[in-house]
Amino acid sequence: MKKLFIFTVLLGIIWYSPAAYGQGIMKKLKDKVNQAVDKTLNNEVQKQTGVSSGNEPANGAGKPVNKGGAGLTNTEPPDVKAQMIEAQSAHKAAQYSDARYALSQALMGVEIQLGKEILLSLPKNAAGMPADTLQDKVMSTQWGWSNLSIQRVYKNNADKQMTMVIGNTGIYSGLAQLYFANAGMVEAAGEQQNYKQVKVKGNKGIIQFDENKGYSLIIGLGQSSGIIWECINFATEKEVMDAANSFDIDGIKELLGEQ
Amino acid sequence: MKHVIIAIIFIFSGATGLMAQGFDKALGTAQAAYNGGKLQEAHYALLQAMQEIDITIGKEVLKLLPPKMEDRQVKTAEDNVSSNAGFIGATIHRTYGDTSRQAELNIISNSPMIAMLNTMLNTPMLGGMMSDANNKNVKVQGYKGRLTASDLSDGKKKYEIQIPLGSALLTFSVGDCTEAQMLAMANTLPMQQIAKLIQ
Repeated sequence: MKKLFIFTVLLGIIWYSPAAYGQGIMKKLKDKVNQAVDKTLNNEVQKQTGVSSGNEPANGAGKPVNKGGAGLTNTEPPDVKAQMIEAQSAHKAAQYSDARYALSQALMGVEIQLGKEILLSLPKNAAGMPADTLQDKVMSTQWGWSNLSIQRVYKNNADKQMTMVIGNTGIYSGLAQLYFANAGMVEAAGEQQNYKQVKVKGNKGIIQFDENKGYSLIIGLGQSSGIIWECINFATEKEVMDAANSFDIDGIKELLGEQ
Repeated sequence: MKHVIIAIIFIFSGATGLMAQGFDKALGTAQAAYNGGKLQEAHYALLQAMQEIDITIGKEVLKLLPPKMEDRQVKTAEDNVSSNAGFIGATIHRTYGDTSRQAELNIISNSPMIAMLNTMLNTPMLGGMMSDANNKNVKVQGYKGRLTASDLSDGKKKYEIQIPLGSALLTFSVGDCTEAQMLAMANTLPMQQIAKLIQ
């Protein structure tokens, strides 16, 4: 209770102090006060009733909460050569469904290798930020909507981040083409322009700004590929464009087999 | 007549042979490209092999279908199998009977409609809310589906049933029939065999 009293008095003083209108300070103080109140109230309730107040994570019907585990082990991508042989023998035996499955596995294996090659080709630093290789991802699914998506994140310790996603499916390219085909959507005539057509090393693209999300830049590559950059806490449009232009776009296109 | 049958058999076996050749050729190219470290070429060749096998599977499905739907005879000239590896997979098409009373079967693999349809079929409240005199959930040989009725210009009804089979969507529609006739015709489709082939 003493802590609660001190925080409330402190909050009152700062509230009326003209020098302390900074929203950040006010928010931090409010959070502290709320935490102190919650803690005090919870302790009081638990003391009197012997029952938790319910602010703890629910673990319905006595189900234990997981506290550990080594996670899943990384599995090697499908063995492309073996899958191709499997597809051939299944096809000869008229087991077409099995042949198709083996083919899709082979495709997945090739796509994952392609994705890894592309990740290796990307620079270690971009926009003055190092790559966070722990967030490198290569995803391939022959069954769903996207075939291949490659993700690389560049970030620093000052809340600045650039997420780059390279995809070889028509969705990415199609999305950009959709914008190009709709001039009204792209060239806003208002005072503030939130969409804009741009070019990154000769490839048509769209840049978008959203106050909550930051800058997004998408370019189409050839017939069926594209790159998306999501830039958080970038100061200007120029900074985003400079960052995008620092990548070897032609090299990526070549690896994806695009013209 | 004998010569015609022989000719049909010859043409059909030839076509099957060509398809197998296409698959073998594409797979051979993929193997050579992969062994040579040309991943992009291997990828493209594998996609071509996939298209070949999708077409083979589609033709196998057509072979399984009944030759008629009640009195509607199959129109084999309108049979169609196309493959589009990637975004939407293969499509298999068959029609029975004349225009106004036509029965039509379409199977699309990797259909974008699947998620929405499954939600409707497996959420009782949603399925109930979306049901009216012209829409309801039904079962065909144990497979859940959505039956929709619509009016034809001459006061007759057309029924359409959509059944998800894994990531594929089977759509069967029949003009000028009753609901009972529609379901009876749908039940002549070898659902289990089709599902096994296309999944």
